[in-house]
Amino acid sequence: MFGFLKRMSAPIVLGALILLALASIVSDRSGLRRADLPWWQGVLLEVTVPVQKAVAIPAGAVARVWHSYLDLVDLRAENDGLQASLLDLEETNLQLREALVSSGHLEQIVEMRDGFEVPMLPATVVGLDVSPFFRSVLVDRGSEHGILAGNPVITHAGVVGVVTRTSDHAAKTMLVLDRQSAVDGFVQRSRTRGMVYGRGTGEPEFAFEARRGDVEVGDLLLTSGLGGVYPKGLKLGEVTALSDPGGGLIQVATVTPAVDFGRLEQVFIMMRRGPGMSLLYETGEFIEPARSQVETRGEDGTAALAGSEGGL
Amino acid sequence: MKVFSTLLLAGLLLLMLEGALATLLSPPWCPDLRLLAVISIGLRWRGLAPGLALAYLLGSAADVLSGSLMGLHALLSILAFLSAVFAGRQLNLKGRFPLMAFAASVSLFYGLALYAVSSFFVSGIEFVPQWLLENLLHSLVNGLFAPLVFEAFSRLAVWAGADDSSERALFLETSRGPM
Repeated sequence: MFGFLKRMSAPIVLGALILLALASIVSDRSGLRRADLPWWQGVLLEVTVPVQKAVAIPAGAVARVWHSYLDLVDLRAENDGLQASLLDLEETNLQLREALVSSGHLEQIVEMRDGFEVPMLPATVVGLDVSPFFRSVLVDRGSEHGILAGNPVITHAGVVGVVTRTSDHAAKTMLVLDRQSAVDGFVQRSRTRGMVYGRGTGEPEFAFEARRGDVEVGDLLLTSGLGGVYPKGLKLGEVTALSDPGGGLIQVATVTPAVDFGRLEQVFIMMRRGPGMSLLYETGEFIEPARSQVETRGEDGTAALAGSEGGL
Repeated sequence: MKVFSTLLLAGLLLLMLEGALATLLSPPWCPDLRLLAVISIGLRWRGLAPGLALAYLLGSAADVLSGSLMGLHALLSILAFLSAVFAGRQLNLKGRFPLMAFAASVSLFYGLALYAVSSFFVSGIEFVPQWLLENLLHSLVNGLFAPLVFEAFSRLAVWAGADDSSERALFLETSRGPM
């Protein structure tokens, strides 16, 4: 009997482990999403963050030196170009302000902006998914800092993704590049609405109605706020190529993300999640983070984000 | 037991290391050290049941840290481990180049299997040719790093008390001579 069991131990273990793995996949897909992780997964995340931080911070410093050197190469030409752009923008800004003040809307917009203020928590990216198939990152803030699954993650440049799981001091974030990511967005110029789908590559795609859509290469894409995850007006990216609809109803545009995911180090986690996420996850209450840990957006970042929220 | 826990800890450490390394070398240029660890355990270890358990545990840990479905890496790690066991018994993998080619092949099929299983369980995942190219590059990078990880794991297993006679395929030229 024991001899038989010993001989059959490997097939039994193999069968049991395959069944266990399949059961995990099915339960993960069945919609039983939990805001908190099982204890052993939490422990693993808790251990991982300091280890990855210890490696990622010096590695990041080396990368920054290298990137700084590369950036210096074209600095002068870029500086001249930026100064010219700055003069143009200052002129445009002045004209727009003048127009707003004259129509009496500026004060209303400032009040509206204050209403949209969302507390944000800065976090450091300590780990990335190595598989080209999945696009997620691990950040060093978790449920103890008030982060919930479903909180949007952004940088000053635009949308990064959404928190999917949290432990006490870590949060797993699905990037907008991931195949499972879909964000409701619109073209800033023409207001054409569509969906930005992650494709698992560095460039997501923007799908919109071919007949009524007005999309051109170079158009800026923003979040529409209608998906229930991200607030309105966050930068998603720029249209870089358009496919031929070929008589189809849906046309697809290739998008270059606003965020440089290759250099992602610091992110901001928005401490209020959208209604869609609250419905999806079990706990819907908003946890107020410690005031000292929250970075309320400053003048520059606030103006861009809050202005867009107002629909400008 | 000592060998099991040593290899498990080393595998977990590699998993954490690769995540941090990916902040410097973004995918597909960052090697999947955890997968290489699973393959090297499959090539190295005689005990099938503990090896399967190790592969499952390392795969589950990868599931926790990555954006995949829970259980996906665990399932495919078991298959990668079994393929390494089979290759260790049936193929002549002496020398660095055959090992690199084998690791790259397993990585390539691992990536394709990730796509296939994900498509089965998640609707709306379309095939993107660019991803296939990235998967190929990722597999080649894994192949390049394979001898390093295999050698490290081989030495670690011997250090932890694994029987040298359990060596099947991993004949690497080390300072101690062929094992």
